[in-house]
Amino acid sequence: MDKTSILVVEDDKAVRNLLTTTLNASHSYSLLTASTGESAISQAASKNPDVMILDLGLPDIDGMKVIRKIRTWSNRPIIVVSARSEDRDIIRALDAGADDYLTKPFSVEELLARIRVAVRKMQYDSRPVLDEASFENGALKIDYSAASVFVDGREVHLTPIEYKLLCLLAKNVGKVLTYHFILTNVWPNPLESDSSLVRVFMATLRKKIEPDPSKPVYIQTRIGIGYRMSRVME
Amino acid sequence: MSDERPTPETLLKRISDHEGKAKRGTLKIFFGYAAGVGKTYAMLDAARSEQKAGADVVLGYIEPHSRPDTMALAQGFEDIPVKKVAYRGIVLNEFDLDAALKRKPELILVDELAHTNASGCRHVKRYDDIEELLNAGINVYTTLNVQHLESLNDIVASVTHITVKERVPDFIFDRATQVELVDIEPDVLIERLNARKIYKETQAKRALRHFFTRDNLVALRELALRRIADKVNREVESNRAEVRDTPYYTGEHILVCLSSSPSNAKVIRTAARFASAFHASFTALFVETPHTKELNDKNRVRLRENLKLAEQLGAKIATVYGDDVAYQISEYANAGGVSKIVMGRSNNKHGLFFAKPNFVERLTALAPNMDVYIIPDNLPPHRPETAQRHIQEHFYLSDLLKMAGILALCTLVGILFSSLHYVQINIITIYILGVLIISNQTNGRIYGLGSSVLSVLIYNYVFIEPRFTFNAYGQDYPVTFLIMLISSLITSSLTMRVKYQAKAAAVNAHRTGILLETSRKLQRANEFHEIVEKSSQQISRLLNQSVMFFAVKDGELQKPWIYSADPSRPLPAEYSGEEEYAVAVWVYHNRKPAGISTDTLPGAKSLYLPVKGKDTVLAVIGIPMWNEEGLEVFGRSLLEGMIYEISFAIEKYNLNEKQNQASMKAEKERLRANLLRAISHDLRTPLTSISGNASVLLSDETQIEEEQTHRLLENIYEDSLWLINLVENILAVTRIDDGRLSIETQPELVQDLIAEALLHTDRHSTEHQISTVLEDDMLMVRVDAHLIVQTIINIVNNAITYTPAGSQIVIHAFQQKQWVIVEISDNGKGIPDKDKKQIFDMFYTANNEIVDSRRGLGIGLSLCKSIINAHGGEIYVRDHQPHGTVFGFSLRLEEVDHHG
Repeated sequence: MDKTSILVVEDDKAVRNLLTTTLNASHSYSLLTASTGESAISQAASKNPDVMILDLGLPDIDGMKVIRKIRTWSNRPIIVVSARSEDRDIIRALDAGADDYLTKPFSVEELLARIRVAVRKMQYDSRPVLDEASFENGALKIDYSAASVFVDGREVHLTPIEYKLLCLLAKNVGKVLTYHFILTNVWPNPLESDSSLVRVFMATLRKKIEPDPSKPVYIQTRIGIGYRMSRVME
Repeated sequence: MSDERPTPETLLKRISDHEGKAKRGTLKIFFGYAAGVGKTYAMLDAARSEQKAGADVVLGYIEPHSRPDTMALAQGFEDIPVKKVAYRGIVLNEFDLDAALKRKPELILVDELAHTNASGCRHVKRYDDIEELLNAGINVYTTLNVQHLESLNDIVASVTHITVKERVPDFIFDRATQVELVDIEPDVLIERLNARKIYKETQAKRALRHFFTRDNLVALRELALRRIADKVNREVESNRAEVRDTPYYTGEHILVCLSSSPSNAKVIRTAARFASAFHASFTALFVETPHTKELNDKNRVRLRENLKLAEQLGAKIATVYGDDVAYQISEYANAGGVSKIVMGRSNNKHGLFFAKPNFVERLTALAPNMDVYIIPDNLPPHRPETAQRHIQEHFYLSDLLKMAGILALCTLVGILFSSLHYVQINIITIYILGVLIISNQTNGRIYGLGSSVLSVLIYNYVFIEPRFTFNAYGQDYPVTFLIMLISSLITSSLTMRVKYQAKAAAVNAHRTGILLETSRKLQRANEFHEIVEKSSQQISRLLNQSVMFFAVKDGELQKPWIYSADPSRPLPAEYSGEEEYAVAVWVYHNRKPAGISTDTLPGAKSLYLPVKGKDTVLAVIGIPMWNEEGLEVFGRSLLEGMIYEISFAIEKYNLNEKQNQASMKAEKERLRANLLRAISHDLRTPLTSISGNASVLLSDETQIEEEQTHRLLENIYEDSLWLINLVENILAVTRIDDGRLSIETQPELVQDLIAEALLHTDRHSTEHQISTVLEDDMLMVRVDAHLIVQTIINIVNNAITYTPAGSQIVIHAFQQKQWVIVEISDNGKGIPDKDKKQIFDMFYTANNEIVDSRRGLGIGLSLCKSIINAHGGEIYVRDHQPHGTVFGFSLRLEEVDHHG
């Protein structure tokens, strides 16, 4: 099997070195690098990398534009790296189509973990579709046809909203979903003020499906941003 | 001569005065003694030469009835199209003030200063239009005839037997920068008139007969010349005053008494002429009595007009309240240092049976040092007609029943006495007692009077032989009846007086009370909204009326805050619409009252009064009016007092705000300086370690043992982590520092916040046992998530740093009423009490002396305090049992509808 290819887009040389060194050290990825938005787009188009790590503050064009452009043809995971800790930028990037994000300064372990999640998503996406009627992630199973959810084979009773929430997360497994995205996709006529509902229902959902809600396995909170369902190793 | 030389200060003052004038436009009046002397012509002529000299001249309004040669002269000027105003089916041409202000020429010509605008124009009077032009810095030429001057009105009327309706206050004339007299011989004017140059034929004949007699014209001309001379004289005086550096002031103070009498206007004008002749200060006093409220509409309107007139003539208006007018006047005059009292012929009502001393006699007795001037008039004696009859009809039945009942009771007692054969005098006393009670219990003198007469009649009818007739056998009975009548009349009138005085005292006390209360309440108001609320509330209480308060913010008039007098009946929307707001804005910019019952924008629904500060308008007060009457006199003067209090309160508030801002800024600066100092210290140490360790690794890589290399690398890593946390804190500080605005709050679950914080705590946390106790996992708060997470991180890191390895750290979150409390406790050695006080101060670290070795993150806890306070919560520290420390903070609970 080919090595997973990763495109690293970062204008700062030191950080780019750090990223390439770290990724090379793991010996499981082949690396491409770009230092501008233009070359990122052209490499993404010609080499079609599996995963892209994109710095939002590029010298030539706005990172947000790069995301939108690439999303016109590719669905491969994009992990955004931002030095701006403003949540608004991250939310905009996620809504524009990025899958995940890292804020500088980040630790190497964190970076590698995010890449693993992204690769798994990519592999899952490329798998031939066998069974659209169900979703499986570790011990969690959703039977779409029966609208029922199982953990470790035991059926879990969810309210309609909890079920819709879970389905939305499952459909976007590996991707960070913003509060706004969740709100508009689950509630029929949402108000911005309803965003506390997202937290409440997510908490009740977790209590039902997580073995230990204080150390969640399936649904991770990204404080100030939203939630993500991660794919659990089987 | 050299004594007279102005000092530099006075010169400066004069210059600054002149600069003040330079901003205002100059007014030039072409002044004549009759129509047809050529004022308009002279004005156009002067304007033409100005135009030739390069000035930007515009015709604002020229009366179209002018002669053809005048109209010819008006050619070649740009003119502002007249405004067409429909009035009762006809279209009137009026000067378009707004167009003129928009055009803003250097010089504008507006004919006929005394003109009264059609309704629908902004101002009722053209001189107010011109005032606004002048205030906008536009120079104005205008024309005026002598008979239109307010103070000369009576004299003109007595000379020509024509009362002129359109009048101009004298201060407009006296403040004019230049007055040019346009003068021709009366004979020439009459000739001109005969040649029909001025009026059309029919009009000319009528005008000739009534007005343009040679005698009239000569008299008017003399008046005009004298008035001009007077103005010149005054200018000389004012120049002299400038040189003398003290205002020209004779120490005279003239007081004029206001009343609702039709002759009062003349008295006021006379007093005004006195005041200007004596260079005296001038006050108009109105004594409100319990009867003032009973005045009928006609009299009320006249009273208001007189008041306005006095104000226009430059009088300070004062009102006092009391039953005894002469006493009130003398009291005011004595206290106010009045030297001369001017009043109309007294309308003294003589008491029926005991002659009151003449009003003037009483006044002179009460104020012996004052000159009293009585102004005669030809009008019939004026009795202020009251609306009493109307009121009586209103209460007719109840009062009449009372009277009848009491008289009947008296008669019954009388019959009882009579049957017991008591002396007759007892019965008389019973009746007098009855009259006393009636006078006390009923409204209006008529009942006391009537019952006096009735009781005599009943007494005669029932008790005097022959009984049940109005005859009396005894010769002495008429005397008895007379004495009985007189006694009861005196009783009734005295009782009424006492009643009125008590009422007057009560009203007075109530009003003084409101003023005092306003002052007290406003002094206690610290916040601006308190000032707004309290002043609206007080005004509303005084006038029993809703009040709109327009505050001023950053030089802009805000939308009104409405105080409803009656919460169940809110102010109709049309009272607070855009048009009404525009009136308030006009008041704000022009510093003058406007709206209903004034001369400016009288079509408005409310009366708008400016709250003036030293040099700006601080707020505008709007008082909705249900009719055009305006405010009653006394209420007005109290309102003025209140508005003065309000302006004082707002100025005080503004000053305080300024000081607060300055001290806040200073405090911020201090914090910033401290922060910089602390950061540079805190940055230097880890940076030195990082760069030092790295350079050792780079240079002698081969010579160091692997174990040592690893230790150096670990140091670099530790220090960089430490720096990261520092940077996070600094970032948070700068966000807090920008004020609360930059905090973006969202609802968050407390358990999420704690979980996130624990991900970022110190690496050494593995050496401590950290646990979380949540009493309710649905606790929600509305916060800036990053800042609160940072707070928890700082407190937990603090606990990790200051407790030995293996200590227990417990994070406990619970609800307490409307608050969520988060407590972080440890079982370390605790914090001494003296340190607890300072622990949230910036750059305070425990064991101050060893900051370097422990890297005390001096900003950590103080930042926590800032963050929690910015969220409206509290942070605290206390001892943990048996030992250790508890840090806690509170955040407002966010209510969630779980089923929404």
